[in-house]
Amino acid sequence: MTVTARPAANAAPVRLKIRKNIATLSPAELAAFRQAVKQALELNDKRGFEYFAGWHGVPLGWCQHHDLLFLPWHRAYLYWLELALQSQVAGVTLPWWDWSTSRTIPAAYTGADNVLAAGAAIKVFGAEPKAGWPTHTARDPGQEIPQVPGPPYAKEWAYAMQASNYTDFSQRIWTVHDTLHVWVGGTMAQVDWAAYDPLFFAHHANIDRAWRIWQSAHPGANPPADVLGQSLQTDPAMTVRTTLDVRQLGYEYAGAESTVPGSS
Amino acid sequence: MQRWTSQALLLPPRASWQRADLEFEGVEHDGASFVLHVFLNNDSADEATPRTAAEGYAGYLTVFAHGDCWGDAGHCDITEPVSAFDRRPPQPLIPFNATLEVSEALDALPEGTQQFTVTTLAFNKADDSAGVLRFSQLTLLTYA
Repeated sequence: MTVTARPAANAAPVRLKIRKNIATLSPAELAAFRQAVKQALELNDKRGFEYFAGWHGVPLGWCQHHDLLFLPWHRAYLYWLELALQSQVAGVTLPWWDWSTSRTIPAAYTGADNVLAAGAAIKVFGAEPKAGWPTHTARDPGQEIPQVPGPPYAKEWAYAMQASNYTDFSQRIWTVHDTLHVWVGGTMAQVDWAAYDPLFFAHHANIDRAWRIWQSAHPGANPPADVLGQSLQTDPAMTVRTTLDVRQLGYEYAGAESTVPGSS
Repeated sequence: MQRWTSQALLLPPRASWQRADLEFEGVEHDGASFVLHVFLNNDSADEATPRTAAEGYAGYLTVFAHGDCWGDAGHCDITEPVSAFDRRPPQPLIPFNATLEVSEALDALPEGTQQFTVTTLAFNKADDSAGVLRFSQLTLLTYA
């Protein structure tokens, strides 16, 4: 682990941004994140939250699921959205929801007058609404299909971490990923609409964190060679190889961070 | 709830494998999201059956699916590449394989078991009794 990385071979080290557990954000950090999402929701152009939400399902449908591109595509997706949010409020990062230990949707994503809560209007960027489209985000955790086991998914997380190769890890983590989506219910339970719920990104930050942790324990255990050069459908595009090192994307995950001034 | 029971799958001698997976091949995910609970050698399993080793319970799989088609006619048709130079990503609704490790569940079957059936109970939001789980074939894979 390190707190800095060189963005280019001859460049000076730059401090990485840290993605944090949503349960441990300070009030100021949470307020800044909410402000970034709020401002992005108000933008009806390619800087806006709904433009990015539309990458995953309606109307663009670029996401990759149930295949070897699942992890790289979603890492690239979060990277581009996080930059867009940082353009609104400098320094914010996507928080993660640790559903391997948590039983419920984080409190930061519930409650009245909360931009992260369900119930917000869905506006599809660049498209007129069609009959049958949902008009607002919704959740129904544990109730929509009562037979879906609920979090915490500690056993499923541990099973994924035991994988000895990328293919097995990817498959095991997408399996528990699917379960969380369907357990939340409502908007989150439909591939085509899930990303309109801000909770989506806390879930996927945790999936990305899982990959990062697994990568640390399995250096060099990359996707198959024929996948590395593939272009991921994002705007702009990114190759699978570019997604492999989060430090070269400018961020890292941490459970806690404490920094004091140096001597100079 | 939709119940489905397989034909008998052959189980190799226990000494010949370390891990066993059930592979649901060609799972379709163009409808509503669903969960399936899997039982071994328990053809009468239903929603009230305890999910325990004694009842042959092997685990669950959840499928995050696309939901209703929102596009124009043909939007959700699974199409082939139009040429050998077609470098577009695969159609998102192409069926996939879902894997469930069943090593412990097989170990819980009576010693000497040489074949077993798989019963799935599939549930979606609408509580449909058909069409919830659609897949092409089921394979037992064992690893030495």
